[in-house]
Amino acid sequence: MTDQIREQLSALLDGELPRDEMGLLMRRLDKDPELRRAFGSYALIGEALRAPGGRIAAPSFAARVSAAIGDAPAIAEKTSTARPAAAVPLQQQAALWKRPIVRTALAAGAAVTAVLLFRPDGTPVAQREVTPANSFAMSASPTPAQTQRLAGYLVAHSQFSTPMVRRNVLSSLLAADPGITRVSHEMGEAP
Amino acid sequence: MQAMQNFPPSDESMKSREPGDEDAGLPAGAEQSDLELVRRAQQNERGAFDLLVLKYQHKVIKLVARLLRDPAEAEDVAQEAFVKAYRALGSFRGDSAFYTWLYRIAVNTARNSIASRQRRPLDYEVELSESEQNNVASRLKHDDTPEATVLSEEIRQTVNEAIGQLPEDLRTAIVLREIEGLSYEEIATAMDCPVGTVRSRIFRAREAIDRALKPLLD
Repeated sequence: MTDQIREQLSALLDGELPRDEMGLLMRRLDKDPELRRAFGSYALIGEALRAPGGRIAAPSFAARVSAAIGDAPAIAEKTSTARPAAAVPLQQQAALWKRPIVRTALAAGAAVTAVLLFRPDGTPVAQREVTPANSFAMSASPTPAQTQRLAGYLVAHSQFSTPMVRRNVLSSLLAADPGITRVSHEMGEAP
Repeated sequence: MQAMQNFPPSDESMKSREPGDEDAGLPAGAEQSDLELVRRAQQNERGAFDLLVLKYQHKVIKLVARLLRDPAEAEDVAQEAFVKAYRALGSFRGDSAFYTWLYRIAVNTARNSIASRQRRPLDYEVELSESEQNNVASRLKHDDTPEATVLSEEIRQTVNEAIGQLPEDLRTAIVLREIEGLSYEEIATAMDCPVGTVRSRIFRAREAIDRALKPLLD
């Protein structure tokens, strides 16, 4: 039985082993260091016959290569660019926070959260009665004071918007409250 | 002794091998076998890559030792080349033979090693007496380390002696395979015997030589 396996090993070295015999032999090789040693020895015999002289590998060379490779998968380089976010090392995660685009996105997210969580009068949403129809009606018809505060907020922050967005926001506010016209003129915007 | 009516083989059977080709001596089957091992290694079957290392370690070390000015570094550089090859294995598509690809990696690794050594400050030279210098010079002929030279010579002698003691049919089979680079089918034609017999003869020849080599390598 052992001779049969070693004969397969010899044929494998010569590229003469049928493919269907390869799988089982590979599994045996994984478990049997003596088989691996024999394969190395067969290769050395060929090398000594074909190209005598020169350096040869130390008996421990293949083991050292294997140890140097460790448990890294062979396709590590190929997949490194497609690494999932969860696998990003902590140092790289920290670097991400420093990027301007990430900081801007976080600031925008915080602003949206603030707008959604707080009513114009400063009362947290959590303290409101859970009556969706009622709350919708309230937001649809704010008091003049609320409208004025909201308009002031939007105008003050309009410098960060594109001209088209500013125009759309101001147009809708003007339609809701003509008293805002004065503010928009001060900002140099056409009504 | 077996009849060898078809020996030497016709030129036609040797057409696929070009002189100077790094893969000369390997039949097409060996390339296919390498590609199969690479495919398995790409699927993270580590044993497959270990076999490729065992198969090509001596070839790569000889190549690197020829390129480096300091052959004592050959094993370290060869090791680095194999590690690089393993890590880049995902990009190997099989457009060339595996050894041709590995050869390029080994040459580049050796070049990088030479370049980085040239950037390093010079080591202080140890002063030797005249007799010591002569002794070292004589042992370092062929730019090799003394241990490597001695071992290599012992292996060559042992292999040749073991081959000389083989029965004629085993000796012919192993020589046709290893030195002439014939496939099993070509050897079967040359020796007028079935391919299975060739496979068995080559194996038995290797086993006999391996038994002679074992005390040397243990």
